Amino acid sequence: MGISAGLSLKQLGELQKFCSDQQILICLNGPNSQSLIEEIGKAMRQHIATQTEDSKAMDVFSTYIEISQNIRNYAIQKNYDAATSSATVIIASHPQGRYSVSAANLVETTDGQRLLERIKSLSQYDKAELKQLYKTQLREGELNAGGAGLGLIEMARRSSAPLEASLEDRPGGKAFFALRVIV
Amino acid sequence: MANQHVQNLTIESSQSSPSVIADWERGVIMMRGESYPENSFSLYEKILDWLASYLEASPRSLQLDLELNYLNTSSVRAMIELFDNLQTAAENGREVSVIWRYDARNPRAAELGQELGEDYTFPFTILAIDP
Repeated sequence: MGISAGLSLKQLGELQKFCSDQQILICLNGPNSQSLIEEIGKAMRQHIATQTEDSKAMDVFSTYIEISQNIRNYAIQKNYDAATSSATVIIASHPQGRYSVSAANLVETTDGQRLLERIKSLSQYDKAELKQLYKTQLREGELNAGGAGLGLIEMARRSSAPLEASLEDRPGGKAFFALRVIV
Repeated sequence: MANQHVQNLTIESSQSSPSVIADWERGVIMMRGESYPENSFSLYEKILDWLASYLEASPRSLQLDLELNYLNTSSVRAMIELFDNLQTAAENGREVSVIWRYDARNPRAAELGQELGEDYTFPFTILAIDP
C-alpha cells in the first residue's frame, strides 16, 4: 500500500464508524512528547471525570501517563528516530463503566519478550501481593534509571483485569509490542 | 541576608511538576501540585541536595509539607528517597515530620500517602483538605 495520498472522505467515514463502534475516546498516533502527554492527559482526565467518579478518572490518567512515559523513555533510551519511536495510544470506553488504555509501539524483540514474561508473571499476583511487589521494587534499582518495572506494577494494581500483551516480529530484530489495560 | 537567600530553594510549578519552597529559617520544605515531569530525578535531586545541606549545617527540625494530587512512579521512587533520608535523620535523633495533605475528592492521593507513610517511624500525618 505504501504512504497514502491522504485520507479520503470515504475513509474518514469508515474511521468514524470504527471509532464509534469501539467507543474510542482518544486515539493518538505518532511520536510522543512530554507536552503532548501532559495536554492529552489533562483533557482526557477532565472528560472522564464528567462520566465517572474521580478515582476512576485518576486511574485512567495514571495508566495513560505510565504507558506514555514508558514508551517515550524507551524510545529515547534506544535512540530511536521519529518513525521508529512512533506509538499508538488509544483510550476507549469499556463495558460495565470501565475504560481501556491500549498502546502499541516498536521494541527490540529481546526487550519485548522480557516485557511479555513480566506481564505474565504479574497476572499471577493478587492486589495485596502487587502492593508488596511495588514496595520492594521501589527500593530496587537506581534512582536515576527509568524502566518499565514500577510502571507495569502500578498499572496492574489499578487495573480491574489482568494486563494483556502481545508481540509480533518485525524486521531488524524489532517487534511490535501491544498492551491493553482495563481500568 | 544574601547568604540566607542562597539557602532557600524555590522552584516554580508547571502542569507536571509541583512548586517547591524550601525555607531554611523555618525548616520546612513545601511541595504543592502534581508530579509527573519528564525527568523526575533532576527535580528531586535539587530537593535532596537542599535537604542534605540543611541536615548537615543546621541542628533544627525539618518538616516536609506535601500537597500532591498525583505522582507518577518515577516521582514516587524519588519521594521515597526523600523519606528514607528523613528516616535516617530521625534515627540519628533529628526531629523530622511529614504532613501529607490531600484533596478530599481524591481518594487515590490519600491511599498513596497511607501506603508510603506506613514504612516510617517518624510522624507522618495524613490530612484531608476540604475542597
